[in-house]
Amino acid sequence: MSQATATTAQEPNLWGGGRSPFNVSYGKMMMWFFLLSDALTFGAFLISYGTTRFFSAVWPNANTVFKSFPFMGHSNLPLLFVSLMTFILIMSSVTMVLAVHAGHYGDKKSVATWLLWTIIGGIAFLGCQAWEWTHLAGECGGLWGTFTDVNTPVHEYQQFFNMNDAAVANVFHTQPLVALQSTHNFFNYFFTITGFHGGHVTSGVIFNILMLVNTVNGTYERRGHYEMVEKIGLYWHFVDLVWVFVFTCFYLL
Amino acid sequence: MSSHANNDNVQALYEGDQSKLYSGVMSHHTDVESTESKTQIKRIWKVFWILLAVTLVEVFIGMQLSTSMPKALLAFIFLGLTLFKAGYIVAIFMHLGDEKKNFMITVLIPLVLFVWFIIAFLADGSFWLHMNDTSKARDHGTTQIAK
Repeated sequence: MSQATATTAQEPNLWGGGRSPFNVSYGKMMMWFFLLSDALTFGAFLISYGTTRFFSAVWPNANTVFKSFPFMGHSNLPLLFVSLMTFILIMSSVTMVLAVHAGHYGDKKSVATWLLWTIIGGIAFLGCQAWEWTHLAGECGGLWGTFTDVNTPVHEYQQFFNMNDAAVANVFHTQPLVALQSTHNFFNYFFTITGFHGGHVTSGVIFNILMLVNTVNGTYERRGHYEMVEKIGLYWHFVDLVWVFVFTCFYLL
Repeated sequence: MSSHANNDNVQALYEGDQSKLYSGVMSHHTDVESTESKTQIKRIWKVFWILLAVTLVEVFIGMQLSTSMPKALLAFIFLGLTLFKAGYIVAIFMHLGDEKKNFMITVLIPLVLFVWFIIAFLADGSFWLHMNDTSKARDHGTTQIAK
């Protein structure tokens, strides 16, 4: 947009010093490089998950594992709750980008309002995640390190699989321990990856609260710009971006 | 007390210097009601609706069509839609599309490593499954005995 077009005219001394050839501040560039490294960490987790899944003959079925909704008892509502979580996170990304936009215009009141909405969205997402974890750990018995006992009754993990699939049913018939191992791996990866993501959301909410305090106190107004909102905004959008991939890998595929 | 106020000034000067040196982003826009501002906001909401629509399509496919479609096609569609969403988030919400081209390339090139990672690791995973598939080995054995 404007910031790009303003300086795209080719000047001979782009790398000659005295200004940033990339036209970004040090802090913003370092945030991008931090996010790049964080993307590699999340990527390592997700690829490791994918590899384990590829070397498992059967894998728990998302539509069967994630079919519950708060206060709906045992009704079968696959993917509905996680869709709500996804909606909340996309929405909070929009309020964040609106805060960044208001920051460009030095509109202190709007920055504060949109940051507040972003914080509310982040907390709502974390609340949903807390419910989902509690549900999985409580009613399904899945957490880190569960489903390791070879004497576990088959029906306790059969509930996570799509038994209408002939190949899956065959594995349960011939070697149910393969399915037990998959269930164990599934829950380990699920809690590790969504936990790592949830940790990012938590720290994002904390940063947003700190920024809200600074905005209301007029710290950025005195500084003359709201670049901090932009930098934390990058982080927040990245967390949303990671969720897009987690959503696909765990709930859709 | 005075030292605190002094620190604050130094910081303001430092950050102020940065804004003059580097960024057009912080060049002072003044009117939130300007057409430029409104087009920006319109663009943000447009992207929101796109992301929402794509997510709904994904959920619909996941709920209704996932059992009747070939798995490879399903994975292809889901990954395509995911990258589509990711592109919008990075380009519009994170404003990478508005940065200088050199910077975009600097950020995006390391991600090309993922192409190699994904192909290598997933291939290795399925190779491991193939090597350890006892059921097939057993079938093979029995057919030979039957002969």
